[in-house]
Amino acid sequence: MALLKREKSKVAPKNKGDRWGLAYVSPFFIIFGVFGLLPILFTVYVSFFHWDPLAGHNFIGLDNFRNLFTDPYFYRAVRNTFSIFLFSFVPQTILALLLANFLANPHLKFKVFWRTILLVPWVTSILSVAIIFSELFGQNYGMVNVAMHYLGLSHIGIHNVNWVGQTIPSHIAIASMIVYRNLGYASLIYLASMLAIPRDLYESASLDGASKLQQFRYVTIPQLKNTLTFMLIVGTIGGLQTFLEPLTYGGVQGGDSRQFSTLALYLYEQIIINNKLGYAAAIGVAITLITIMISGVNFLVTRRISGSEA
Amino acid sequence: MRNLLEWFTGSNASDPTKKRRKVSRTAYIALIVFTFLSIFPLYWLFVVASNSNAEISKIPPSLVPGPNFFKELKAVYAAVPLTNALVNTALIALIVAAAQVFFCTMAGFAYAKLAFPGKKVSLVVIIGTMMLPSQLGIVVLYIMMADFFHWINDFKAIVIPSMIGAFGVFWMRQIIDAQVPNELLEAAKIDGGKNFRIYRSVVVPIIAPSALVLGLFSFLGTWNDFLWPSLVLNSPKRFTIQVAVNQLNGTYTVDYALKMCGAFMATLPLLLLFIFVGRRLVTGIMDGAVKG
Amino acid sequence: MKTAKLGKIWAAGVALFSIVGGVLAPSSHAAASTTISIWTYGNVIDPALVAQYQKLHPTIKIVAKKSDLDGNAQALRYALPSSAVPDIAAIEISYMGEFRNYTQYLTDLSTLTPSASDLKAQYLPWRWNDMVADSGQVLGIPTDVGGLAVAYRVDLFKKAGLPTDPTAVSALWPTWDKFIATGKQYVAKEKGKAFIDIAQTIYTAVVNQGAQKYYDASGNLVYANNPNIQAAFNYTAAASQANLGTNVAQYSPDWNVGLNKGLYATVLAPAWMLQYIKQYAPKTSGLWNIATLPGSAGNQGGSALTIPTHAAHAQEAWDFIRWYTSAAQQKYEFVHNLTFPTVTSLYSDPAVGGLKDPFFNNAPIGKIYSSSVNSVQPFVLGKKDRLIDSTIGQALSRVQLGKQLPQAAWTQALSDIHRAIN
Repeated sequence: MALLKREKSKVAPKNKGDRWGLAYVSPFFIIFGVFGLLPILFTVYVSFFHWDPLAGHNFIGLDNFRNLFTDPYFYRAVRNTFSIFLFSFVPQTILALLLANFLANPHLKFKVFWRTILLVPWVTSILSVAIIFSELFGQNYGMVNVAMHYLGLSHIGIHNVNWVGQTIPSHIAIASMIVYRNLGYASLIYLASMLAIPRDLYESASLDGASKLQQFRYVTIPQLKNTLTFMLIVGTIGGLQTFLEPLTYGGVQGGDSRQFSTLALYLYEQIIINNKLGYAAAIGVAITLITIMISGVNFLVTRRISGSEA
Repeated sequence: MRNLLEWFTGSNASDPTKKRRKVSRTAYIALIVFTFLSIFPLYWLFVVASNSNAEISKIPPSLVPGPNFFKELKAVYAAVPLTNALVNTALIALIVAAAQVFFCTMAGFAYAKLAFPGKKVSLVVIIGTMMLPSQLGIVVLYIMMADFFHWINDFKAIVIPSMIGAFGVFWMRQIIDAQVPNELLEAAKIDGGKNFRIYRSVVVPIIAPSALVLGLFSFLGTWNDFLWPSLVLNSPKRFTIQVAVNQLNGTYTVDYALKMCGAFMATLPLLLLFIFVGRRLVTGIMDGAVKG
Repeated sequence: MKTAKLGKIWAAGVALFSIVGGVLAPSSHAAASTTISIWTYGNVIDPALVAQYQKLHPTIKIVAKKSDLDGNAQALRYALPSSAVPDIAAIEISYMGEFRNYTQYLTDLSTLTPSASDLKAQYLPWRWNDMVADSGQVLGIPTDVGGLAVAYRVDLFKKAGLPTDPTAVSALWPTWDKFIATGKQYVAKEKGKAFIDIAQTIYTAVVNQGAQKYYDASGNLVYANNPNIQAAFNYTAAASQANLGTNVAQYSPDWNVGLNKGLYATVLAPAWMLQYIKQYAPKTSGLWNIATLPGSAGNQGGSALTIPTHAAHAQEAWDFIRWYTSAAQQKYEFVHNLTFPTVTSLYSDPAVGGLKDPFFNNAPIGKIYSSSVNSVQPFVLGKKDRLIDSTIGQALSRVQLGKQLPQAAWTQALSDIHRAIN
């Protein structure tokens, strides 16, 4: 009798924890299941069909995926997405680190003002940002080209750049939109991590004769490894879904040669212009698989890096 | 040359008797430049909105605000019920923010501190869904709303699916994991606390600032969302602000002064909100980052 | 017991949020008013006219939702099979080919009272037929038509030694070959300027002058071999390669500035574009005139109003459509917005047919556009018109930017279309 009682008290807390856990998480699960998971499962289902909302649908098996494999525009979208990602992520990280470094200075005046004002672009709606950037990057009269002209760049052949029609310039323009919106947020993340770096590391470095620049390179950056890898992972997932910026900048087809059509934009084009929901679903599945692959690679690489440190 | 460099960096290498600047001039210059760049688009919005279309279609464009702002505002009001849209959006964003905080905090707590069957698997599934582009979900969700729930043109279509978010659960899980020590929970349990009371009186006060930040993120996201609401809302009286601003387009053309006026009015409340809670937002973002 | 309490709490939470979210939706008043919903885009539905109608019919309330052109069509595709449809849906000419055969989802207006067939005689025949299904159902009433003419800068022509009188200018280009030749003459004289704003507009103009566009009467795709399509493509490519046009997108901020600075000597203008020019380039008043289009008459743009089959208030919707597209209201639209009417009797109305505008040197706008729309040859609109338009448009842009030679661009367009359609 006493034995049984003791065993019961050992087991009971665990069950209670299970019940509790479920209770806390089930409202989330229910709503998520219906509005988050169900649409996704249905999307995967649709990817095996030729689906027209008005003409009906018929099962075509893997045909959508077969077509995707041989679709040159899909591969172009992949390349564009990566290109735009590189053009945005690298400058964004560098600028954010620099800004964070300035903001981390304990003697900086008006700290709160600088930190808050940097978030303003993040708050501005993408439609407004897009119109402004379209104006800035206008070929004949846009301010960017005008400024480059005054800086004398026409002497080295850079003249009246077409920021929509040419591939790399269009990527740069769209990437600058992305950097513009995200820079403040990224700077704050790096700033927070920088502030957590112990001061004595810097002190001992400067005692060793390191200049400010060397301190930045050999103390700050290594300490930020975790944050940098986190931002890289989050950045790649977000980068693979770049959609609103190219859409609002140059339209759903991504340009005359799909030069700035990203994966998500190409998907959207299938829905809205081609009326091919099944093919769009297949692209969606492909994007997810690519994202999982990249995240997996990211995860392994960063694990290797932090592993080698220990 | 050396003096110029020193002027920028504030070093005293050439003259050690000179006091070394604590903050380099470069820092202030960079910050001023970025401040200017951050604010300029909003300023430009206002300039375009307050000038006539002819004014901004010339070179060099007018860089000062003109007299037409209230005239354009009147035209915006004639085209869309702007106040309605602002109120609708504010209410919806508030409800979604509150709901997200409520549900994601509870779920985040479960993932961080409690055990339940399928915990690991479900977390992977949730992360997985973050990787699917949202544009697809929109079509399917619309079909569900139209044929099954009959929530087309109903705010429920916007509020309910947004009440939970994968990012929100993730964020709260990290926050609770980092900020609520297990010892504290054990101590409270020993003191005889019932589970929900522990949650309410121990966990919530600790993570309240971060939860507030989640709420702000959520509020901002809902305020700026236009793809889904534009598909689902059909009556002008029910439009959210982004859908309302989108009504200002011409058939093949765009009336820039009109549209920018609408866009400016769409951003203004956020800026005002920003003035009040900007500081909190900054602290919250930074708190959430440190543990990373 | 604790679980039950927790359960109650979160259930209450969900319920609370849903109720508040639902309550926010303003309830429709149980009063005697009917609400007609319209899905439209751009300026098709004029709020001023809506206000007028509501004044005349106090029990009718009209709410219009605007999307962009493609968004509107997409929303309709997903809504039409369900009951979540508007009472009136506006369809643009590039989508008429697709929607005019949805006889299952759009009401045959000739079965309503009064029958649409009674109204047919009032309207421009080829615009009327644009929304008639292959099996004869009348699915939409045309609201407006674009027409097409050449707006040219008198001062720039003078500077380049070209004639300035509209009749003389029209005589310069009876064919597109001569138009391009004039253009070459112009750019040879005026370095750094463009003859036409965008060469691609030539394609749209020529395409709309043919007897066939992309489909034949039986609904087969003929775009690949249609000589008129090829001619349209070739003229445009030739204009691009002769540097007659610029790279800007129409109606972009860059384009607006170019308009003000006199960067383009001509613009192919539907009637409503004249209004745009007046608004965006007021300083150029008196510097323009209007000449006829090379070749035959042309058109660009136009819309129609339809009633989905599952509409809740079909009769009230029909009453509104008939009122909105009648002569009086179309006249109002023309006088205020230069939206060219589809009611043919208006063409002889002095306010319409006799309209002259000092901004355009008192060119007889009304007369020019009436004769333009009256001479348009009708052709069959097909399902994938919009898609084929966009794809060929992309090909022409590539030629304009020098990325591809015309033959390669055409071949790629053909394979792109094939891939997109199948």
